Order: sequence, then C-alpha cells, then structure tokens
Amino acid sequence: MLRFLLRRALQSLPLLLLVSLLVFLLIHAAPGGPLAVYLSNPSVRPQDIERLRHALGLDRPLWQQYFAWLAAFARGDWGYSFTDGRAVSERIFDRLPASLELVGASFVVSLALTLCAGIGAAVRRMGWFDRVTTALAFAGISLPVFWLGLLLQMIFAVALGWLPSAGRATVGAAGPGDRLEHLVMPVIVLSFVQAASWSRFLRASMIDALGRPFVLAAEARGLSRARVICRHALANALAPLVTVVLLDAALVVSGAVVTESVFAWPGIGSLFTEALARRDYSVLMALLMLTSTAVVVLNVVADTAYAILDPRVRL
Amino acid sequence: MNRRSIGLPRARLAVVLAVVTGSGCAPKAGAVAPSNDLLIVGYDREPDTLNRFSTHILEDIQSCVVEGLTTTDERMEIVPLLATTVPTLENGGVRLRSEGGMDVTWTLRPGVRWHDGVPFTSADVKFTVDAINSPTYHPESSDGFDRITGVDTPDPLTAIVHYREVYAPYALQFIRGALPKHVLEGRDIDRAQDYNRNPLGTGPYRVAEWKSGEHILLERVPHYWRGDAFPKIRRLLFKFIPNTNTRVNQIKSGEVHVVPLVPWDKNRELVGRPGLVVQQTAGNAYEHVTLNERQVPAFADGRVRRALLMAVDRELLTKTILDGLAAVAIGPIQPVSWAYTDRVTRYRFDPARAKALLDDAGWKPGASGIREREGRPLAFTLITQAGYAIRENVAQALQQQWRDVGVDVRVELQDGTAISAIWFEGRFDAMLHWWQMPADPELTTFFAADRTPPAGRNINYYRNDELTRLVYAADRTVDRTERTQLLRQAQAIIADDVPEIPLYTVTRLDVVPTTLEGFKGNPTNTGIFWNVHEWEVR
Repeated sequence: MLRFLLRRALQSLPLLLLVSLLVFLLIHAAPGGPLAVYLSNPSVRPQDIERLRHALGLDRPLWQQYFAWLAAFARGDWGYSFTDGRAVSERIFDRLPASLELVGASFVVSLALTLCAGIGAAVRRMGWFDRVTTALAFAGISLPVFWLGLLLQMIFAVALGWLPSAGRATVGAAGPGDRLEHLVMPVIVLSFVQAASWSRFLRASMIDALGRPFVLAAEARGLSRARVICRHALANALAPLVTVVLLDAALVVSGAVVTESVFAWPGIGSLFTEALARRDYSVLMALLMLTSTAVVVLNVVADTAYAILDPRVRL
Repeated sequence: MNRRSIGLPRARLAVVLAVVTGSGCAPKAGAVAPSNDLLIVGYDREPDTLNRFSTHILEDIQSCVVEGLTTTDERMEIVPLLATTVPTLENGGVRLRSEGGMDVTWTLRPGVRWHDGVPFTSADVKFTVDAINSPTYHPESSDGFDRITGVDTPDPLTAIVHYREVYAPYALQFIRGALPKHVLEGRDIDRAQDYNRNPLGTGPYRVAEWKSGEHILLERVPHYWRGDAFPKIRRLLFKFIPNTNTRVNQIKSGEVHVVPLVPWDKNRELVGRPGLVVQQTAGNAYEHVTLNERQVPAFADGRVRRALLMAVDRELLTKTILDGLAAVAIGPIQPVSWAYTDRVTRYRFDPARAKALLDDAGWKPGASGIREREGRPLAFTLITQAGYAIRENVAQALQQQWRDVGVDVRVELQDGTAISAIWFEGRFDAMLHWWQMPADPELTTFFAADRTPPAGRNINYYRNDELTRLVYAADRTVDRTERTQLLRQAQAIIADDVPEIPLYTVTRLDVVPTTLEGFKGNPTNTGIFWNVHEWEVR
C-alpha cells in the first residue's frame, strides 16, 4: 500500500507540472489580460496601461513569467491578486469556508437521496418508483443549473417568500436558522444534479449485485430481504459509487461555479468566475492548480478506497 | 357540485397565479423594509479596492466615503464639494500664464476633518499630486496629473496647482478626492491594504465591514461636516450579486432595496411593482457602431459610411428593441452636456438613398444580392459583447437592415474582457458598443487623427485634419464660450462625415423604493450616490 501511494505521488508530479504549463498557456491565450478592464475608461491613457503592465511584470516574455510563477509556487508563494493586490492565498482562504459548507451539505443530501433512489429503483426494477426516479434523474442531468436555480428563486423567494433568494446570511441576523435557510436552495440545486447521476451508478451496480449468485445464496439461507439488500448486495455495489463520489469531491476546492454565481454564494466558485472575467492570472493559476491537485489526489484516494472495498483488487 | 370541488381548483389557481405573477403576500424570508436605519443596495460586483485613485470600476461605494473637491450633479454640472467654489477664469480661480501654462487656485471648505479628526488641508491635495506622479504608486489613471509641475500651499485652505499647459478638464482633476497625507506618507500605497480596504475619507459614511464575496457595510460618521442632520440613513449595505436575474429577484422579494444600472430588458419586469420605482436618467453614453477604416478599406469612403447610416432605421430600433427607453443619438456629445448642439446634418432612414450612394461608390449588387466592387463583396464582421440581450438583438437588426441594402454582415459575440483587448489592438471590422463619455466633453482621444490605439481611442482609424485641429484646440481652451464654439464645429463635422454610426443615447435605469426621497440620479460615472447624504426613507 505504502509503495503504491509513493509510486502514485511520484507519477503525479510530472503530471501536475504539465497541467500547470497547459493551464498557464491556456489562460494567457484567452484574449484580453488583467489590464483589459482598464481600457473602457477614457481617462486611462496608453502610458497608464504601459506603467501598470510594467509594474505587474506583464511586459516580460511569457516563459519568464511562467518560470517566475513556478518558482514562487513551488516555494508556497502564490503571489498577489492582479485585481485587488491582496495575497492570493488570503483571497482563497477567505472563500474556502463557504464552499466547504455548501459542497459538504450538498454531499450529505446527495448521498442520502442517492442511496434511497438507487437502492429503491434497483430493488423494484421497472416499478413506479424506478420510473419516477429515472425521470427525475433524467431531469437532473439535463436541466441547466442556472435555470433551475432561478426558477427556485422565483417560486420560493419571490412568489412564496419562504426562503431568501441568495447570499449566505442576512446581515445582522446571522443565527444558525438564518444560515440554514440560505443553504436550502443552493443545496437543493446541487444535490438534485449530483444525486441524479450518482443514483444511476448505484442503480446499475445494485441491479448487477442483486443478480449475483451470492445474493441468491443469502436468500436461500433465509436471511431477511433487508439484510440481503443492505449487507450483501449494497456492500458489493458501493465500490463504483465511491469512485464517482470521490472524483466529484474536487468540488470542495473548485467550488460549484454556476450554483455559487446564481445564488451569490461567496465561495471558491464565485471567486473563480470573478477572476476569469478580470483575467486575474495569479488567482486563476492558484485555483486551477488547487483543483488539479485535488483531482489527482482524489484519484489516488479513490483507487485506494476501491482496493479496501473490494478485496479482489490488489494495489 | 359540492363546495370542495369548486374551492380546491380556485385555491390551486391562486397559488399558481401567485407563483407566476410573483404577487405572494406572505412575509418574505430575508426581506426587511427600507428604512432610515438600513438601506440595502444590490450591487453587480465586488470592488477591487476602495482607493478611488486605484479602482477600475465605478466608484459608487467609494463616493459615500471619500469626497472630491468637486462632483457632478444630476444635470452633469460640476459643483463644488470640498472646495468652496469651482475655479474659473471669471472668478479668478484660473490664471493663464503667458508662456502657455496655467495656475488653478483651489480654496478648501473650512472645518472639514478626516474621519479620524485630523483637519483636511491643502497639504493633502499636494500630497495626492505628488503620490500620483511618483514612480512607486500605480493609480488607475494619471490623466492631468502628469501636466502638473507643482502645488503651492500658501495656507492650509489654499492649494495653487501649476500646469505646464492649459488643461481644459481641470475642474474634474480632484473629483476622486485626496489621499490623507498623515496616513499614507512614506508608504507603499499599492500595498497599503488598511487604507485600500477601509479608506479614510471626509464623506458621510465610513466602512464598517467588508466581507469578501458578500457585502460592504457602510455606517454613518458621527460628525459629518454638513452637520449632524446628515446623512439621514444610518447604514448602507452593498450586497454583491453578480447575476442580473438574481439581483432582479432580490429586489422583487424585498431582500434588496436599490439596484443601480438595471439592464433595459428588465424594465418591464420591474415597472409598476408595488413599492418600487424605476428611475430613468438620460445618460452621457452613446451606443454606436465603430467602423474600422484600417481593417475595411470600404469604410474610408464617406459615401459608404453615410449609406450604412441611412440604411438603419434607428427610430424603429429605439421604439421596438429598446422599448422607447432611449432616444436616437446624433453624435458623440449627448444632450445632457453643455457642449451639445443639434444644429448639425441629420441623416434620416432612407434605404433608397443608401442604395444610390453605394451604387455611386461603385458597389453594385451581385448575383447573390450582395454588393460587389472589383470582384470583392461588401462584407464585414460586426463584433459586440456577449451576454447583453439588447445589444445582441440590435446587432441582429442591423445585420438585417444592412442586408436589405446589399451589405453582408456577420455578427460575432465576445466576452467583455476579450472585446477590450480586440479593439485596443484594432483587430475588428466593425463594433457595436458604447462609450461612457467623461463629464468634460473631451473628443480628442476618440477623434484626433493621431489618437489611434495605442495612443488613444480613435478606433475608427478616422483621419480628418480639420476635426483634429478643432478637438485639440478645444482641449487647450478654458473659456467656456470659446470652447463651446470649437466643440460645436467639431460636432458638425462628425455628424456630416459620419466616421461612426451613432445609434442611441444610453438611458440609466436605477430601481429605488417609492419611499426614498432625495434621490436625484446622475448621468455620469460619478454614480447615483453623489448626494446620498440627502437621501431619506419616508
């Protein structure tokens, strides 16, 4: 196991280096740069732009900028935001708790929904429950997140007034109840989408597991239906779901970009949208590297988890 | 039929109607009524910095905290704020020197203190000029400051600013206020985060809290210089809500009370909603089509440009797509400006005349209906910003109307940041966009022949020597009457020669509560909060 982890860690390093180079080139290839936003103000003159370009080091050749960034990043120095001059790490850690809260809550709800829908649909295959959850999953996978978010706002905030439409807390009334109210709609949107795809995985692997001889054997031994499903079939069906969930867990550091933007949720996702609109290279690089690292690490974790859940797999 | 079977569908209908019309009367979660204790503003973005000299977005929040020596009012007149008067030639505040330079004497309002109690003096004005001209600080713009050779401070309330040449917009030089010398002297202002995130000002409010990604809360200062009766509203909360639809939903649900700069396509959703009023202010920006003569040689022919203008039914555009919210523009200076004139050539919608002009210029209809000359079609790409429903619709309407006279146009959408870079490098044929014009009617950067990028914003790449002479002369004239004459001649040339296709004057829409008194609006980038000290909720 240790050797496996060590090997995977060593393999990941060149991969991350390659990713950093690609990401760097990609964001610099997008038209416009951090100074483009200044151009719409007529009182900002060319000499002002030149002065700022030099001050920010944007007049250096691209390869020099990349290696300067890489050297600093390797030392743990993520640089300063091109937008507000604050340390990139400070900007990211400011936003991380909100994303953790949203993504964490939505994972709990999604898992609960997935287990109910996935197991229920597999056990009564082609029954009414299966048909309803299949239709809902189809909707969850197909509906655009921003549309669903706005629709919920119009119904539950504007028309019925039951829930606040956006934000993380009401200023001056930030009790736990208020925080919870703000969480409801973004969590519904995120969980609906996540549970839609996760439950399909679970349904498929449950159907597969329920058809296996060991299930028949367990039933023949006279075990209760519930015990057969939960202890025998589910334990065997979980492995693919765990992999999918772990890979989706990168959302914790990447933020839920669209959902956060629609609900003005102050997390990493909305920071990413802002940084992208303003071409804030240093914040973008840090966020993309953080997400890439998370994906790589979670891949390793998923492989390890697979091996733990399925004794047939050896690392 | 029993009662129940009638009642239930009705109840269902009521719920459906409430959902569809958004007229539910239940108390809304997170909603509070606007009051003199708290007014909530739904703002489209988080500021980069609250340092007015460094920010590159609108200074709405900053202007509640940091005041300028002057500001612009609802009619775009420059009015004194921390200065006692606006210096002019007539009142002796401006003196032209014989060698071509000028001196501007600012008299500061007595009794004004920074929020920490330290008096605001001419030393702060001098410090501001020195800081902006120093190589270590990087403000957004040093326009005008780089023409200042020095500032004399004969007494704490007098600052005499010496310019090496005449600078016509001098009255707006200190509209962003001043930097507090006692806080920032000897420091790296770019990195002075204590100031940049919580600036010391003289204004009616100070920053109580800035929660990254969420909001900025401003609270009333105890002894504002206008007297303890001002400001009347205790706290102003700016909530950052980047998504336009979410912002609109928040004002409908009562979670925010004011939304500045609402997109026009949201007007119908908001007009007539109880408790809200959509304030319209004729703006100082104009939507137009830039014709890049460097990229499309056909645009260099005045007949082609006039034909393109006459092929567009601008009245129809403003009545339909713009829903009557904007008036047809006739040039770069808008009716709100003192320099505006309508005594210029006006080309009406006349497709027949447009076709004749194109024929005359040698562009004859080809087999496909598209005009050609020497085997080349009259075709170009019109770029515009993605995500603006109205602009996308106008672009399509233009495409159709130009197609009707035999011009082939392809519409291309770009995101906001990309489009700035594209026009700055001149890599486009034609562009649908607006310029937010400064309160001072300077035309040089947009029309002088030598001000093509990177030296300016003449992205029509238009060259007219007489116009260039006039706009430069206007820039170097302080006398209002003389300057008006020069600018009117410039407008006449622009209207007649059509270097670009003016479409409409941009109207500002700001949504405020019906109970808000004292709101005046503002056509410029000064923003609606310029008189926030007078606002009061009844």
